[in-house]
Amino acid sequence: MFELRRIFSFAVLAACILTSHAQQTLHIAAAADLEPVFLPVIAQFTAQTGVCVEASYKSSATLAAAIINGAPFDLFLAADLSFPQRVVAAGLAEESAPIPYARGTLVLWTRNDSRYHQLSMDSLRDPALKSVAIANPEHAPYGRAAKAALEHLGLYDPVKSKLVIAENIAQTAQYAESGNAELGFISLTSALTPQLKSAGHYIEVPREAYPPILQGAIAIKNSQNARAAHQFLDFLASAPVVHQLEGGGLGPAR
Amino acid sequence: MDLQALSVTLRLAAVTTVILLLLAIPLSFWIVSTRSRLRAPIEAITTLPILLPPTVLGFYLLVLLGPRTALGRVWIHLTGHPLAFTFSGLVIGSIIYSLPFAVQPLVAGFSAVDVALIEQARLLGASRWRLLRSVLLPLSARSIGAAALLCFTHTVGEFGVVLMVGGDIPGATRTLSIAIYDQVQDFAYAAANRTALLLVVIAVASLAALYAWRGAYPGAHHEK
Repeated sequence: MFELRRIFSFAVLAACILTSHAQQTLHIAAAADLEPVFLPVIAQFTAQTGVCVEASYKSSATLAAAIINGAPFDLFLAADLSFPQRVVAAGLAEESAPIPYARGTLVLWTRNDSRYHQLSMDSLRDPALKSVAIANPEHAPYGRAAKAALEHLGLYDPVKSKLVIAENIAQTAQYAESGNAELGFISLTSALTPQLKSAGHYIEVPREAYPPILQGAIAIKNSQNARAAHQFLDFLASAPVVHQLEGGGLGPAR
Repeated sequence: MDLQALSVTLRLAAVTTVILLLLAIPLSFWIVSTRSRLRAPIEAITTLPILLPPTVLGFYLLVLLGPRTALGRVWIHLTGHPLAFTFSGLVIGSIIYSLPFAVQPLVAGFSAVDVALIEQARLLGASRWRLLRSVLLPLSARSIGAAALLCFTHTVGEFGVVLMVGGDIPGATRTLSIAIYDQVQDFAYAAANRTALLLVVIAVASLAALYAWRGAYPGAHHEK
């Protein structure tokens, strides 16, 4: 079933690429945690509406900086509310406030061949622990959440010197998956991908340890594809898509 | 100004330049003095980092030399940590990344030395080592200076490899180019501008020194 869906996704995307000059294309600036779950969502949207979608996945800060400096996106799907808020403040958003569309979950992940078979938050207290990957707390909402959780659990000081900082949450997963970092604070969306599922295991970081990762969206002002951008937001809020995202590690906003 | 990042950058560039000269001088001497059929492929490999994007190098350093390969495990066994996220990892990345910038001027300098001088030295019974030390090196001082300066400034300007394998660790792997990237992401444009200006000044000063040292072009006239 999953394979069939994948083939279907690729077929729709291929159709988009082959006919892109003739068709309307929606450009989405998407937070890096969306990458693992978005391919089928985009394909379904294209199949339903005939609108092609091109998504760029980066840290929310990178995308906000790009948009504020005139990057030609139609829609910004961030991993928190503060970065789309900056775009609002710069007068470049259609909305007066970001629209929450999903809620992210932070997990602690390690490879199956690492020393941490019984992974727990206490693994972070292990003096023999060498490196922990987190996303940059200044640029990436998951990194900010990871730092908050470490501070809340009194783990920040023992772990501080062992932190390696990735540019976004996808690179954090890459650091951990390649084994270069022993543990990694990554998104549940990454942890649930087939590759990371088979290579390692994870525990959810206690929810009370960090402020919720509420992800906000805004449509970019004066975009030529404003209608399609709002269509996509409605599509994201529809019950089947919400359900599908939840299966991929992204909870409903409310 | 991020003084820690400045210090990491200067240390990285200095260490890289010294190691690279020690490697590139014998390599370039071999290139200009050999008749081996391996010369062309070896020269091609040393030039490769100019053509390949830094992401290729970053990818291989991270994955091929990571803990999941035999080569990576040998490194971890020897040093106690993976190549990624360490200053020594950045040094190795920079050596590969800047290799052509050392080899190219050296090969050009060595091959510009008058063949008659080399022949005379050989007739007088000079060994290859003596030839390098007493003839080629003194006559190629400018090329060696150029190689050192280019390696240094090219390493100062390195970004892609550091972003991929550095891990942004203050005092170890956060270089000036990464600091600028971080500052731009934080919308700290004034700070980014100060750091960027410093890099521009370093680059212009080094290049001006290089061209001044090379002297006037043959055929140039004195201004009256």
